[in-house]
Amino acid sequence: MIRFAFAAILAALAVPALAQGAFPDRPIAMIVPFPPGGVADQTARPVAAAMEKALKQPVVLANRQGAGGAVGMAATAAARPDGYTIMTALSSISVIPEADKLFERKPAYTMDQFAPLALISSDPTVLVVNAERPWKSVAELVADAKARPGQISFSSSGVYGTLHMATEMFAHAAQVKFKHVPFNGAGPAMTALLGGHVDILASGPGVVLPQIKAGKVRALAGWGAKRLDVMPELPTFKELGFDIEFYIWAGVFAPAATPAPILETLRRAIAQGVKDPDFVAAMEKAGTPVAYLDAPEFKKFWDTDAARLAKALRAIGKVEGG
Amino acid sequence: MTETLANLALGFSVALSPQVLIYCVIGCFIGTLVGMLPGLGPLAGISLLLPVSFGLSPTVALVMLAGIYYGAMYGGSTTSILMRLPGEAASVMTCIDGHAMARQGRAGAALAIAAIGSFVAGTLSLVGLMLLAPPLASLALKFGPPEQCALLVLGLVVLAAMGGGSVLKSLAMTVLGLWLGTIGIDQMSGFFRFQFGLVELGDGIGLVPVAVGLFGIAEILASAGKPQLERPRTPAFRELWPSRREFADSAGAIGRGTVLGFLIGIIPGSAHIVASFASYGIEKRVSKTPERFGQGAIAGVAGPESANNAAACGALVPMLALGVPSGAIPAVMIAALVVHGVAPGPTLIQDQPALFWGFVAAMYVGNLVLLAMNLPLVGVFVQLLRIPYAYLYPAILAFCVLGVYAASQSAVDLWIMAGAGAVGYGLRKAGFETAPVVLGLVLSPMLENAWRQSLAMSDGSYAVFVQRPIAAGFMLAAAVMLAWGMRRR
Amino acid sequence: MSADRAAGLVLAALAAGIAAIALAELPMGSWARPGAGAAPLGLGLILGGFGLALAWQGGGAWEATDRAEAGRALAILAAAGFAALAFEALGYRLTMAAMLAFLLLAVERKPVLPALAWSALLSLGSFHAFSVWLRVPLPRGPFGF
Repeated sequence: MIRFAFAAILAALAVPALAQGAFPDRPIAMIVPFPPGGVADQTARPVAAAMEKALKQPVVLANRQGAGGAVGMAATAAARPDGYTIMTALSSISVIPEADKLFERKPAYTMDQFAPLALISSDPTVLVVNAERPWKSVAELVADAKARPGQISFSSSGVYGTLHMATEMFAHAAQVKFKHVPFNGAGPAMTALLGGHVDILASGPGVVLPQIKAGKVRALAGWGAKRLDVMPELPTFKELGFDIEFYIWAGVFAPAATPAPILETLRRAIAQGVKDPDFVAAMEKAGTPVAYLDAPEFKKFWDTDAARLAKALRAIGKVEGG
Repeated sequence: MTETLANLALGFSVALSPQVLIYCVIGCFIGTLVGMLPGLGPLAGISLLLPVSFGLSPTVALVMLAGIYYGAMYGGSTTSILMRLPGEAASVMTCIDGHAMARQGRAGAALAIAAIGSFVAGTLSLVGLMLLAPPLASLALKFGPPEQCALLVLGLVVLAAMGGGSVLKSLAMTVLGLWLGTIGIDQMSGFFRFQFGLVELGDGIGLVPVAVGLFGIAEILASAGKPQLERPRTPAFRELWPSRREFADSAGAIGRGTVLGFLIGIIPGSAHIVASFASYGIEKRVSKTPERFGQGAIAGVAGPESANNAAACGALVPMLALGVPSGAIPAVMIAALVVHGVAPGPTLIQDQPALFWGFVAAMYVGNLVLLAMNLPLVGVFVQLLRIPYAYLYPAILAFCVLGVYAASQSAVDLWIMAGAGAVGYGLRKAGFETAPVVLGLVLSPMLENAWRQSLAMSDGSYAVFVQRPIAAGFMLAAAVMLAWGMRRR
Repeated sequence: MSADRAAGLVLAALAAGIAAIALAELPMGSWARPGAGAAPLGLGLILGGFGLALAWQGGGAWEATDRAEAGRALAILAAAGFAALAFEALGYRLTMAAMLAFLLLAVERKPVLPALAWSALLSLGSFHAFSVWLRVPLPRGPFGF
């Protein structure tokens, strides 16, 4: 028994070889501040696999969900800035600090606590209605909403989540009021629309496209600056005279204080990874095609997007009880 | 129908090739290991091993994932029975009678019945999945927030009214669990409730640390100090197997658990957990010897285990028929399908018959492999109980710490686990059942959300719960059950 | 005091605290749109009602507890508390080895060599199985151990 125990101890000690080499010399943790199965998780897994190939070290995913992502984001902001903790987050990273300001709460984190590494994907949301509802165009929907304010309902992935922000932006621009029924995640929000429990929904193309093809829902407009490749006949809100844009994007971040050479190594690993054909194929299949931007361009993109979201949030203001 | 059979034959021809079978066994084995660790259930098992499957061909990968999925669910019942350590909420009811059986030297029978019940439930539900997926899925969509709210109320009342001794005590524990579930950031308004200065509470009190504390740790605290703890004798192989009487007691429970679990499973909204709790309540109600529940009634293991497996299978119905995940596990399964080139959506079954039927066949095969693998393992697991308790319980404690941390990566959860252990020990001394606390905690956010969503839909009118026929039916059943439970005393 | 009365009073006190915090800190919203505090307040009131009913009804016996059992339970809780405190600072392996050695040597008074071997085997073996093979991220302490 004891001899067996010693053998087991030796075997266990032998594995983590303590080689002091260049970064990285041990596994990297990638925090995903959302539960498994969502857009962030679906993007992070292939990214981690592709980075692993480039870095020759495991990149291990850790789902630290909670508070619309604030828990995992705050954890990344507070992590040791040695490159062994990175994060894949969504557009909502810019909304949470603004919402904290709005409610005069102590912020969970600030955006300058993160160094952006790369943008992986970016999709405009699409406005869909249950196929059994009468509206065939945005104009019809707006006219009806003006006639009965607060009667037409929409579902969302949660208060101040991406889907809620997109719809409120539209409502604000069209000067109408919809009834908000928040759900917990984009999946349940779509289920509620399919069951006819709500009337309209804004969601990503990957989520709505299969339901459009099956004839269960009808798309009215998209939030992009230009039309979507997968739905070329769908007008954008800008074409229809509403000056709004909204994107659900996923990007990779590191704590801001991470040394520059390490950030460089990580950036190069992602740049190499996004060219990997397996990675591109996995993302295409998920309905979120790669929209890679390296750190400097991503920073500009992020600043523009954050300013737009902050403005929208201030315009929407506090939402009472959801 | 003929088409279904032809498709299934196609599926089996894929799933039964030697290479695929090997991966199926590997998946089942890894799944069993992962499932035994409290905190790592099927969800974590699949998410952890999803990247490994990227390099495999789609069919092989799906077979392996299906194996992990089922393996993890089997693994969960093992620790519940041997150590009273629930890995997830669904195994809480298994702990009660399963561990009582283990204390009486019937661990083998309990483990075997859990495996057999899961196998039967899994197989029958797959038949349901195959034949009924599309019509059931559109029916399931009729379940909006008011129906879910009513169903959850019914589920809570069933456990309280039928579960333990005093209905008042059970209801108090249920409400305590419901309150614990409101701690953390409110999903609707973003308001932080009951923060107590801890950012980590934002996501609420985790289920895993509470369940592990109330059951696993409380059991250690209560048992470690009893030097003359009755040791199960070394069982002969014959005794590992359930007796004829035990089989007879389980058969009905497995059947009822399967139907109940499957029906609850297809309802979107992740209320699946209700299945195993409700099954326990129903078994106790229909049993001729309800007083044996809690003292090692085998039907109390067979029913919830079957219901749990059937619900997990039923949960795949909305995913396969509508392309909408109805919970976290189907969501990860969808991610796996996507990575392997299948676009989820309402047309999945028509577009990808080979894949869908391969998947179904793989789940059949996985069920069978697990049964073949687990029944011999029962003998090995039972040997674990021969380790002197003074050496075993520190190991179980270490196991609890590992599992709780692995589930959340948060040291705060370890404190919650220790606290729940102390509270669970006290409640046990005072004669309170703790299972309703766990059920309340799990269902609390769902119940509160469904309630507030219903009111948002109806502009504040409570009539929404009685005007819609399905919701009204559930509410009526809950009222009847409660009245019956109160009167029985 | 009987078990039910004591537990009922504790629950009622807890319920009063819940209701007080909900009223003081949380928005109640309206009937149509219940705020963040509505559910906790309602649950607090119901729990208080149940607690008082239990206390009024009384009855229920405590399960017997001897001094040895209580002492050991406290020691085990302390070990779990130590694990929570040290886990992220000392790393998984050191914390677990220390906790196991404490329980086996100080609480159970087992012979030194088997106790240490069992502690080392469990802490290193479980780390190897879950962190190395299954890639569950577990904390490492000083020097990456």
